Amino acid sequence: PPELEQTLAMLSSHRSVLGYLVLSRGHPASIIRQSGVVFEGEQGRRYASAVARIVESAQSALIEASGEENEGDDIRFMRVRTKRHELMISPDRRYLLAVLHDPATGS
Amino acid sequence: MSERRRDEIALKRQKLAELRKARAERLERKQQQSPPPAQDSYKNRDINALLEGILGSDAGGSSGIRTPDLGTPTSSAPGTPLRVPRSISGIALRRGSDAGSSTLANTASDAIVDRAATPRFAPELIDVEQELFELPQRERVMYNKEIQTATFDSSDEESPPHDTGGVGTSTEDVRREREREAALEAAREAELEAESVQLDREIAQEIRDLTEEERTSIFAAPEFLDFVEQSSKIVQRALNDNYDYIRDYSVGTETGGDDSEGKRVKRVCAFWDERYCKNRSITDLDWSPKYPELSVASYNKNPAALNEPDGIVAVWNMHLLERPEFVFHSQSDVLSVTFSPFHSNLVFGGTYSGQILLWDTRSKHLPVLKTPLSAAGHTHPVYAMQMVGTQNAHNLITSSTDGLVCSWLVDMLAQPQETLELVHAGHNKTGEVAITALDFPDNETSTFWIGTEEGNLYQANRHDRAGAKAGLNAHDVYRAHAGPVTGLHFHPADGPVDFSDLFLSCSVDWTVKLWRARGLTNTKPSTGGAPTAVPPLYSFDEADDYVYDVKWHPTHPAVFGAVDGSGKFDLWNLNIDTEVPAVRTAVSEGHALNKMRWDHKDGRRVAMGGSEGRLHVYDIGDMAIPRETEWNDLQKTVASFAGASSQEPEPLTSSLRGSVNGR
Repeated sequence: PPELEQTLAMLSSHRSVLGYLVLSRGHPASIIRQSGVVFEGEQGRRYASAVARIVESAQSALIEASGEENEGDDIRFMRVRTKRHELMISPDRRYLLAVLHDPATGS
Repeated sequence: MSERRRDEIALKRQKLAELRKARAERLERKQQQSPPPAQDSYKNRDINALLEGILGSDAGGSSGIRTPDLGTPTSSAPGTPLRVPRSISGIALRRGSDAGSSTLANTASDAIVDRAATPRFAPELIDVEQELFELPQRERVMYNKEIQTATFDSSDEESPPHDTGGVGTSTEDVRREREREAALEAAREAELEAESVQLDREIAQEIRDLTEEERTSIFAAPEFLDFVEQSSKIVQRALNDNYDYIRDYSVGTETGGDDSEGKRVKRVCAFWDERYCKNRSITDLDWSPKYPELSVASYNKNPAALNEPDGIVAVWNMHLLERPEFVFHSQSDVLSVTFSPFHSNLVFGGTYSGQILLWDTRSKHLPVLKTPLSAAGHTHPVYAMQMVGTQNAHNLITSSTDGLVCSWLVDMLAQPQETLELVHAGHNKTGEVAITALDFPDNETSTFWIGTEEGNLYQANRHDRAGAKAGLNAHDVYRAHAGPVTGLHFHPADGPVDFSDLFLSCSVDWTVKLWRARGLTNTKPSTGGAPTAVPPLYSFDEADDYVYDVKWHPTHPAVFGAVDGSGKFDLWNLNIDTEVPAVRTAVSEGHALNKMRWDHKDGRRVAMGGSEGRLHVYDIGDMAIPRETEWNDLQKTVASFAGASSQEPEPLTSSLRGSVNGR
């Protein structure tokens, strides 16, 4: 659908964005959409499984740490800032959008 | 024994590698479109050879030890070899992983079959034999009467199995040996088990590639589109935030030089979207009272795209520059727009057809409420509207170019609460008053001033009051401009000195005029008798093009801004200079600026809408901050204006009519 394409194209055309991944959660996670050099092929798959695992473990850690009564607290947004890049993950109940960008190029 | 476990693990590893290889191959094949079946069959043959090898080492007769965890139903005497299978099965049944692995074996084999699409014999054999394996195995478990149940851990294996019948020492020794062996076995088992479980998990986690149909079905789901919209907005807002929060300030390679920006007007950003703003002009704009980063702009028709809606209203977010937060559609050009000051989600718009529309940011593109296109409402373009009142009792006042002023209740747009037709009796040509600008003084809800297409300004009352009738007050004639009045703004009344009877008006005759409103504070409106002409306090003539809008600054009493048709923004400060603007900035070259608004919070930012569809936001910095003396200074300035034009408004009858005739 064209709006989808347009939205995703706008995302990847931002100057500091290196690529994005749209995954579906659930076992096993599967790649719905990807773009950018970083996420091509094998490396993309590794990133995808890594991201899915990160979100799963963070979510379960959250549930574990906050005890049983705080069930409704889901992860809304995650930003993993490394020295070189920043990975932004926005999970939903069923899907997951991960964007890798380089903050240094965004002046 | 454990060899079998190791083999099993090796097989699993191989399976994993093959899954990956097979997927890569599938990708290759997709590109090349020339499946090499020979290769796959070769691989299969490899598998079969391996199987044969394992089978050969076994004493059992059945082939296909895909699931050697169940052991071989050999006819060997019950002893340690059989104990191992039992223990394995014990572990297996306990963990259930072997069931998993057996199904995995199935799926793997199926998968391999799918990919290869040639050899069919081997997998089928395997399936059948699995079943064969399980049943006899269960019977063998009967060997040790003690441990009937399957679901327990290795500690039970270590416990010496008692035979109910008493046996001699030889058997005891044998038993102890068996125990030791069992313990060792169990330890090794546990290790291998763990490894195989790990491999299973890895297999399970192998990222699947979706087939095309799955993909299209996902794309078609509306929640997927919603998800992409939402999360891409969030990510874009986060991307726009340029602050590098791991910056280390102690590493000092920063170039200093913070230039003295006190007196400069700086550009912050410009909102423009290719899809919604192309070929359209901004007709009105407003800032959100609740969220200082949101602003709304209304656009008129795009003559090049006839399928797109005629009127667009877009809500922009300062943190999201590439696209509007919300977009609302309308059937006809939207000429005026305002956020509701009492509900943070509602946006009102007045259109070219006279309809008033209400949009909600929680709903989608279309208006939530509309006024009827009938004689009850407006039938002419609505250029000006304003919300008046308090939280509990507020009305939307709208005015159209046929002189009709309606007051609406927000919930009920089906018919206006009250209508008022402003008629200028005594006008020689037509009684109709074409309203192009309307403003209420601060704290007033029933008397207001309007600007017309002829260039006149009038006061009007909504209701009958003591000493004034509802309708146009034709007795005070503010003979304002030589062309249509484009902007009218009363001074915001906050501060030690109240200037709320001062207002500014601007028009296409290149001037901005400052007036003192009669009938508000000291001066009473003249009633009855001849109409009196009210002169302006001051006229600012610096512009060299049509002046499209003028607005007082919300916090600084002596500052106001004006935008004109050549794309310039003039910032005036009356306490500094009354002849020339303090700062003149060229905002957009070659395109007129249609409207401007100061932001509500502290007035540091000003939004200006251009005729090319761009919404420019500028920051004026320190010039927005008033000192305490500003009010007194302004009082003195205004007094000097009043003194300069100290003619009493004389009753002019013939001259007024003469000038009216001349129009």
